[in-house]
Amino acid sequence: MIQEPARRIARQSAIRLFAQEYREASMTEEGSGEYDPSFVITKIGAKINRVLVCGVIDRMERREGDSGPNYSGHIRDPTGSHMFSVASFQPEMHPDFEELMARFESGDRFLMALVGKARWFETEDGGMFTSLRAEEFTEIDRECYTNWLVETAEATLRRIDAHSASLEADLNPASLEAAGVPEDLIDGIVLARGHYGDFDPEGYRVGILQALSMATGRTSLDEPPQPAAPTLEEAAQPEAAADKPAPEPGDAVDMIIETVRSRDAGEGVEYNDLVTALVHAGHSRESAEDAIDQARDQGEVMEPRFGFFQLVPE
Amino acid sequence: MTEDGRYETQVKIVKQECPDADEVDIVREFRRYEEEFLIPPEDALRSVVRKFQAAAGMEQTQISAPSRAEKKVDRFSELKADDRNVTIEVAVITYTPRVQMVRGEERQVAFGWIEDNPWEGSDNRERWDFKDWGEQAENLAPGSVVRLEGASVNEWNDKRSLNINRTTRVTVLREGGTPAMQVSSDPVDIATASANEGYVNLVARLISAKPDVIVKRDGSGEIDVVRGRLGDSSGSIGFLSWVPLEHEPGTLLKIDGASVRKFRETPEINIGDRTNVEVYHDTAFVSMDDLSQANKVAISDLRNGMRDIEVTVQVESWMQRSFSADDGTERVVRSGDVIDPSGRCRLTAWCEVDPKPGDFLHLTGARVQFWQGSPDLVVDEAEQVSNLSEAPWESIDPEQHWVEVDLTSMVSGGSRRGIRTSGTVVAVRPDSGIVERCPECRRVLRDGSCSEHGPQRGEEDLRLRFVIDDGVSNASLLMSKDASEAFLGMNQEAVKEEIAKEGRDGFVASLRKRVLAQRLSIKGRSIVDDQGAMLLADEAEQAQTTASEAANDVMQRWGVVL
Repeated sequence: MIQEPARRIARQSAIRLFAQEYREASMTEEGSGEYDPSFVITKIGAKINRVLVCGVIDRMERREGDSGPNYSGHIRDPTGSHMFSVASFQPEMHPDFEELMARFESGDRFLMALVGKARWFETEDGGMFTSLRAEEFTEIDRECYTNWLVETAEATLRRIDAHSASLEADLNPASLEAAGVPEDLIDGIVLARGHYGDFDPEGYRVGILQALSMATGRTSLDEPPQPAAPTLEEAAQPEAAADKPAPEPGDAVDMIIETVRSRDAGEGVEYNDLVTALVHAGHSRESAEDAIDQARDQGEVMEPRFGFFQLVPE
Repeated sequence: MTEDGRYETQVKIVKQECPDADEVDIVREFRRYEEEFLIPPEDALRSVVRKFQAAAGMEQTQISAPSRAEKKVDRFSELKADDRNVTIEVAVITYTPRVQMVRGEERQVAFGWIEDNPWEGSDNRERWDFKDWGEQAENLAPGSVVRLEGASVNEWNDKRSLNINRTTRVTVLREGGTPAMQVSSDPVDIATASANEGYVNLVARLISAKPDVIVKRDGSGEIDVVRGRLGDSSGSIGFLSWVPLEHEPGTLLKIDGASVRKFRETPEINIGDRTNVEVYHDTAFVSMDDLSQANKVAISDLRNGMRDIEVTVQVESWMQRSFSADDGTERVVRSGDVIDPSGRCRLTAWCEVDPKPGDFLHLTGARVQFWQGSPDLVVDEAEQVSNLSEAPWESIDPEQHWVEVDLTSMVSGGSRRGIRTSGTVVAVRPDSGIVERCPECRRVLRDGSCSEHGPQRGEEDLRLRFVIDDGVSNASLLMSKDASEAFLGMNQEAVKEEIAKEGRDGFVASLRKRVLAQRLSIKGRSIVDDQGAMLLADEAEQAQTTASEAANDVMQRWGVVL
């Protein structure tokens, strides 16, 4: 018997990374073959196909689609939120999600661990949103979370270190190896340096310091991470951010209404476009998402079709 | 007409190839071969066709017998010397183009190696030479797997090869990966040669050589060969020579046109009749004394298929058993567990060796076989074993002997026993828990049926399957019944009750809550092959680290100040 070729693509390891690094990524690499893995490449060269992320649950939603329910949620770490989804074709995860969502809706908040695969979508103006498709998730305890914080802080430090080392070297695997870049990071750094140009990773240290101080007990974990996590600009320039008053959520709702009014050509305005507009106006992504929810809940806008917003008819 | 139709069949074939040839001439030619050269018509066919083709100024093509149907085979061994129109799937190992003068015309031909059974590991394949007459270079890249339709077998000097003709259809089933080693005339060092398969030129010192005999699998005879080792400053490698090799150990040799091929997991230099071996002079070349260290290995270095190695071990246990061999004779085999500072393995002796636990043995000329996925050292002669009076290391307590290996080294190394590693659980396989096994072969039954033995009344067993990951590497983790019971703190019955109460999904969900994102410390053995790495746990437990200690370590390691 002639057999089908055995597919032997090694399993991708789960990268540990904070939400900020993942959110800021805007580069992807798609595999050429049907079963080749695809990756999101972060600014400091993490090549992300699979991740292990942890944090406090921040949003849980069910949507009814044509092929059954699908779910989305946010997991928040010291640097921001990861958005993740459970697709309708993953029914084995639906009961677990429903169970957690019931607790979430009753006001309970808890820590979660999630193993997920990188996903992304592009906006019309060329922006990119990264998210995760859940593979496994569970509630975890505080000890597990702090261990993850430490592991992720170290993984991020290792990437920052490799990225700095790469600045001295030519952008080819042999030179990078000679410069001390670990083997597993070489590919991603070549791609990242080529795509993002000069990038100063100092901004990522803020999250590392926060994570380590939580783990050493200097910052209380019972105090959940600041609801409005610093925007990328603020994180990169903490002093400058202090002078700038954070935009009011009310402004955001007004802006949503304005954006929908001006851009809706009958089909509605896409969720991502709304978020992008708000981020451009100085809101953090989290507060933008909060504001969109708020606007919808208050009846300022409606979402007749998942992901598309229109004004409520007068 | 031919007299008595004596050459009828052959004449028909010749007529098909050379329609213009005169039948009387053809018959005369066959008779001449038979009477003058004592070659029967079947064997003369090729020559006769060639003669008439040449006479007609035709291009030489392969003969296709009348109405000879396509012969579809999986293995070279199913082919006969006169098979034409063969269909087979092969892996292309090498492809070397040549320009050859054919009757005064330059023609591009190529030769190389192909292996049958291309979807299996290379130790389960047969390798043949091929010649490409069809200028199929684009479709025959080394590393690719192709289907050949209409190839033909060629036999010369008792050696069979496959002709890929102009009419042969080549279908690429899998594109070549990285091409086999570049054909380069520069000598490479042994470390480079070991990393690839293909043609190679070397300058190396002969460390050892001894005659050996290969018994053909089909029982058709024996082949005299020479086996031994070659060394240079980058390492050493075994060789197998199909031609006599009459150099003394210590001689520096320049070897051109040898080939590297993997025997099981171990690369080996093949020296054949196309290889040119000559004595070489280089006073700066690494000396024999330095090289004699080269085949000393530790248990952690063992790979399936290694030969002629030197290793020192401490005996943990020893036993012997006798059995009846296939030929009815009583044979005794001795074996036991042995350890060294790098790990643990089994030792099998086909000779009288009776060490006591705690003894130190020095083994020379040992070979490595795999036994249940782990390396097993084998010695065949008592002379290969010496019992050391002086301990090479402070006696190791076998009970406490677990060698710490980080996950990345484990995944990139060979299969090892007696190791301890750690990683974070990133997947809990939904088939964790109670499974039913086939009473015949222990395979897990699917829907009450074994893939080998059909429907069976299964035997219940407990096992857990996770994936552990350290952010760089990952491995499957498998816990058998004992390890699972200890890890869960509940016995098989209790697990069964919980599954009955909560359902399998409920059990897996609670397991996930318990282990996902948790770091485990595991003692056991690793099996590393094409499919990745698997860790069989003797014992697994939650790693005992506190986050604040770990955080302080990280800050120290990376110079972070809060």
